Amino acid sequence: MMKRLRKGHIAGLAGVLLLMSTPAQAQDGATLLAENCSGCHAADDSGALSRIKHQRKTPEGWLMTIVRMRLFHGMELEPGVQSELVHYLADTQGLAPSEAEDFRYILERRPNVVEAPEAPLAEMCARCHSAARVALQRRTKDEWNMHIDFHVGQWPTLEYQALARDREWLKIAREEVVPLLAEKYPFETDAWTAWEKADKPSATGSWVFTTSLPAKGEAYGALEVSGDTQPYSVSGTLKTASGDELAVSGKLNVYTGYEWRANLTIGDTAYRQVLAISEDGASLSGRQFLHAEDSLGGAFKAVKVGGKPAIAGVVPSTLPAGASGTVQVVGTGLGSVALTGALDASGGTVNAYGAAVDVSPAAGTDGAISVTSSDATADDALAVYSHIDSLKVEPAFAVARVGGGGGSAGKVPARFDAVGYWNGADGQPGTDDDVRIGVVPASWSVAPFNEEAEALKDVEFAGKMDESLGIFMPAVAGPNPKRPFSTNNAGNLKVLAKSGDASGEGQLIVTVQRWNDPPIR
Amino acid sequence: MKNLKPLNQKAERVVKAAETDKMDEVRAMQTIVAGCASTLDPGWEVDPFGGVAALCQPMEADLYGCSDPCWWPAQVPDTINSYPDWNANADGAPADWRNLGTVFPSDSET
Repeated sequence: MMKRLRKGHIAGLAGVLLLMSTPAQAQDGATLLAENCSGCHAADDSGALSRIKHQRKTPEGWLMTIVRMRLFHGMELEPGVQSELVHYLADTQGLAPSEAEDFRYILERRPNVVEAPEAPLAEMCARCHSAARVALQRRTKDEWNMHIDFHVGQWPTLEYQALARDREWLKIAREEVVPLLAEKYPFETDAWTAWEKADKPSATGSWVFTTSLPAKGEAYGALEVSGDTQPYSVSGTLKTASGDELAVSGKLNVYTGYEWRANLTIGDTAYRQVLAISEDGASLSGRQFLHAEDSLGGAFKAVKVGGKPAIAGVVPSTLPAGASGTVQVVGTGLGSVALTGALDASGGTVNAYGAAVDVSPAAGTDGAISVTSSDATADDALAVYSHIDSLKVEPAFAVARVGGGGGSAGKVPARFDAVGYWNGADGQPGTDDDVRIGVVPASWSVAPFNEEAEALKDVEFAGKMDESLGIFMPAVAGPNPKRPFSTNNAGNLKVLAKSGDASGEGQLIVTVQRWNDPPIR
Repeated sequence: MKNLKPLNQKAERVVKAAETDKMDEVRAMQTIVAGCASTLDPGWEVDPFGGVAALCQPMEADLYGCSDPCWWPAQVPDTINSYPDWNANADGAPADWRNLGTVFPSDSET
């Protein structure tokens, strides 16, 4: 196992092995659990297995647990059984949609989220891993207590990280943290009880969506999900705002009745989707990203075709004044489109993705536009602009990682958007009344963030910014003999965007690779 | 210094600093300002000043000081318990870092 892992070329293999068909003679999940886990986990009088029975987790949480049993404890599983067990455990001991809602960023592998955990969980848990990793688990008080024991046993030097030199950390863990966790993240909740009984939404059928691709920008399209058993088949079409049309195909798993996990090929590129189906089954939202480079992706929103009239989004979402263009309103049950606000127009043509309307905003037009079609409305879904008063770089703070060079960890690039703003009534940029226009084209560059970065020539060594896409590709991993003390190609950079006379600035940390990169960081 | 022979880049710089009367500028364990963070304050990725110049770099020079005592177990596989053979094919990380694997298995995805 270790030999294979050490070679670990993750991205290529995962796409092939993921979503393997279930074994021909699929066994009942409870039987599989008993057969594969009861060798170590004793059953009580009811047949419930110790440790396992009193926890609830996301599909990724259960996957990490099972992988840990394989790697740390030598558990061997027949091919396909791991996937079956994750399905069974996530379905029967998962999280209700409302329980996972605030922490989806970690499942979606959104880069650059800065958490703000509060004491005492910040010091006790979130110094090593995300606070979301804790918040996406539900346990009884006894189980949370044993979770402390497990950490001490598995990582005995954690007492340093737990600030043991300055405080009675274990006492705090037992007497403050465990009761708090049992109260904040209890095993039994009304939300889970209700979700267990609820009719689950259906993933199969037709969806129309909006998203953005890392290099191609805003896009929309349609997906058809079919099949009687998981993984479901997905097929469809994606169209970019600039007119490219790409075929979509792939496989989809659904866990806990709403957790959508798909691997899709769009054009010739492998993507992954981590989405949640809404409880009423009418919409779908989350993040779609490159399978090989999960830091590059975009929000994904879809509505189910055939339901009540609904709008998923508008592509493009920004339009320069004085030019003509077609606005695609993506949704279901749509008819004639009415635009109101900075631009008043109506008409349009119904198509497979909703309805499209041609517009020609006059030069000098500035403002937001709301879109209405049938009974569906999307407020301020489109902005027309003749000028930009100020520019903000989003994210304002980002992390990239060196990689490649023959090592097992790939480069982790960073991608930035330039978001245009109008001054508000006060006529000043950077104040609370500024009005957001949306993402606008910009030219990109990087500069040393401070004196140290300048002295170490971080701009030269840390990587390269794509001038038009705002994608920073970090440099190769490993010691660099050309740098002082052969330091890595790390760097601390200003990210500079310019659009017309407006400019914006962010910060990019280019840092070292991580060797442990599980589905929940 | 005449009885001491420098064995690495930093030692050579110390010798040069002594020869040019710049010993005041010598600091231990650093690229620029400070040394390794003693705990996860701030962390594997960012130094105490919010940058990277004062991280322990090259990271590979001290990587096994991180993995042996599971110093950053969420980012670096710990060899104390979890992945005892992680560096079995990499006697020295600065030269052999390419043989160190990413540990979450590629056959496992939801």
